[in-house]
Amino acid sequence: MGSVLHSLLYRGKELKSRLPAGLRDWTPEELAPLRALEARLRRTFEAWGYREVATPVLEYLDTWTHAAGSGPASLFVVVDRSGELLALRPELTASVARLVATRGPEGVARLYYVGSVFRADAGRGGSREFPQAGVERVGEGGADADAEVVALAVEALREAGVAGARLGVGHAGFLRALLEAAGLQERSVPQQALLRRDFVTLSALLEGAPEPVRQALLDLPSLRGRGALSSARRLGVGGQALEELEAVLEALGAYGVAEHVEVDLGIIRDFDYYTGVVLEAYAPASGAPLLGGGRYDGLLEHFGASRPAVGFAVHLERVLSSCRLDVPPPPVLEVAYDPSTRPQAVAWASKARAAGLRVATGPAQNGPPRAGVNFRADGVWWVDARGSRRLAASELDALLEGRTP
Amino acid sequence: MNRLTLALPSGRLLGDCVRVLHAAGYRGAREDRSLVWGWADLTVIVAKPADLLTYVERGAADCGVVGKDVLLEQSHEVYELVDLGFGRCRGVVALPAECRRLWEDPRRHLRVATKYPRVAERFFWERGRPVEIVELYGSVELAPQVGLSDGILDLVMTGATLRANGLVEVAEVFRSTARLVVNPVSLRTRSAAVRELVGRLARAAQEVS
Repeated sequence: MGSVLHSLLYRGKELKSRLPAGLRDWTPEELAPLRALEARLRRTFEAWGYREVATPVLEYLDTWTHAAGSGPASLFVVVDRSGELLALRPELTASVARLVATRGPEGVARLYYVGSVFRADAGRGGSREFPQAGVERVGEGGADADAEVVALAVEALREAGVAGARLGVGHAGFLRALLEAAGLQERSVPQQALLRRDFVTLSALLEGAPEPVRQALLDLPSLRGRGALSSARRLGVGGQALEELEAVLEALGAYGVAEHVEVDLGIIRDFDYYTGVVLEAYAPASGAPLLGGGRYDGLLEHFGASRPAVGFAVHLERVLSSCRLDVPPPPVLEVAYDPSTRPQAVAWASKARAAGLRVATGPAQNGPPRAGVNFRADGVWWVDARGSRRLAASELDALLEGRTP
Repeated sequence: MNRLTLALPSGRLLGDCVRVLHAAGYRGAREDRSLVWGWADLTVIVAKPADLLTYVERGAADCGVVGKDVLLEQSHEVYELVDLGFGRCRGVVALPAECRRLWEDPRRHLRVATKYPRVAERFFWERGRPVEIVELYGSVELAPQVGLSDGILDLVMTGATLRANGLVEVAEVFRSTARLVVNPVSLRTRSAAVRELVGRLARAAQEVS
């Protein structure tokens, strides 16, 4: 008994200084690039007229399992005091859809968010918390809305400084039409195989399907780039989806982003969720898509307001690994004081902060004087690598303008 | 820039993988038992089979060869493009010969030792059979002999190991061969080179088998 108690206590002590698997801290050095990336994305989204919203990290489990089709196994589930099941959000699109469906605004809403999403089952990456930023454009269907969102995705990655990013644009309706033409039921085994990107199983299951359709499904991974649209059209399947996609590409022409965008009919995203255009971005430096999204006209209906919507979410950690956002630590001016000079030092520091400097104040330590400004009984001293010297009043004022003496 | 990386699994599939590479025109170049070797357009790395999908999924390798058994056990985001045909084996449930009749009662609670806990969980759950899964990393056939489990779920090739340990197959769970898998981003950002390599290896695998 004693040893059990001991091991429990010991374990408790151990746990206090550890983190659960898949969760992490961010030190100032690690956080600065993330915040810099978020700032660039915020600036870009706002320049395009999008406004930020925030939603809670926890919502009813049903919000995710019914509306967004997340498997409960991947959700972090929490039991509320009333016994209701809640879950940490696995994405933000459903939350934003719920927000718009229940609280507006009416008409066209251009919204963006920055926040973490959570998964209970750490994949091979091991992470269970993922910082994201994304946009949702609600209340309008059609090629112009789609094109704006695609162009904004390109712009966001450019502003983030990602080298060699390519944005693929496909259509969920085309894939659905192909599966239908192959005689496959919704949620059937072949459809599951396709979602798992298991083309070996898919090939075996498509034995009886019409040959051109079978070939098109098996060639999906290469149905992209120039010529993809015309070879897709030759199948005579999913004509409406291809027309919609073409209209989006035409509208995109005005944005001058053609060199970064390509048709990619092989983009496989959740069929239940997406109803129109789908997009994904890739860069050579990241093994996984940097962003993903599409049109989801059926989602808001789950929350009682049938409205079309399109958007995308950026995976911030993947973007960070694809661009070098070196953020040097900002210079902080140290102000040290003796007990007798404390009022003078603190007053000067507050003036310096008002002038835009970053200032840290503290008592002078024993030992060598700190680098920076030292308020001492015998005057104000400047200490740097070259040594220390007394400052004249004019030099102290010059410091406020950011000039070092 | 367009040099691709191919990850091969150490262990039972490696010999056939090297033969396929050979047939595809990638000859020689491997120092004895080295883990990395290559040609002008291809780097080959050798990884533990259980780690292989990690290399490909994270883009450290563009392509990889991995048994279907591993693809079934581990969740992944890679494209499974080609059945290479070699490394043929089956996953089966086996019980000691003297208690094979336990399988006939679907309500009977069984303890099953396996290297494939997720496959086992899915298999028994889908059939509504009560089960306790004992996860082991190797020599699974030992477990029933020492009372650690009632039976096993494991790979069989010839069945010799089962026989040698007094086990008999009672159910087939899956069939496995080596598969060629590709990172989804490589498939797009290095498309031409990846397609070329996939085609070359698929043809070579057909010749070899």
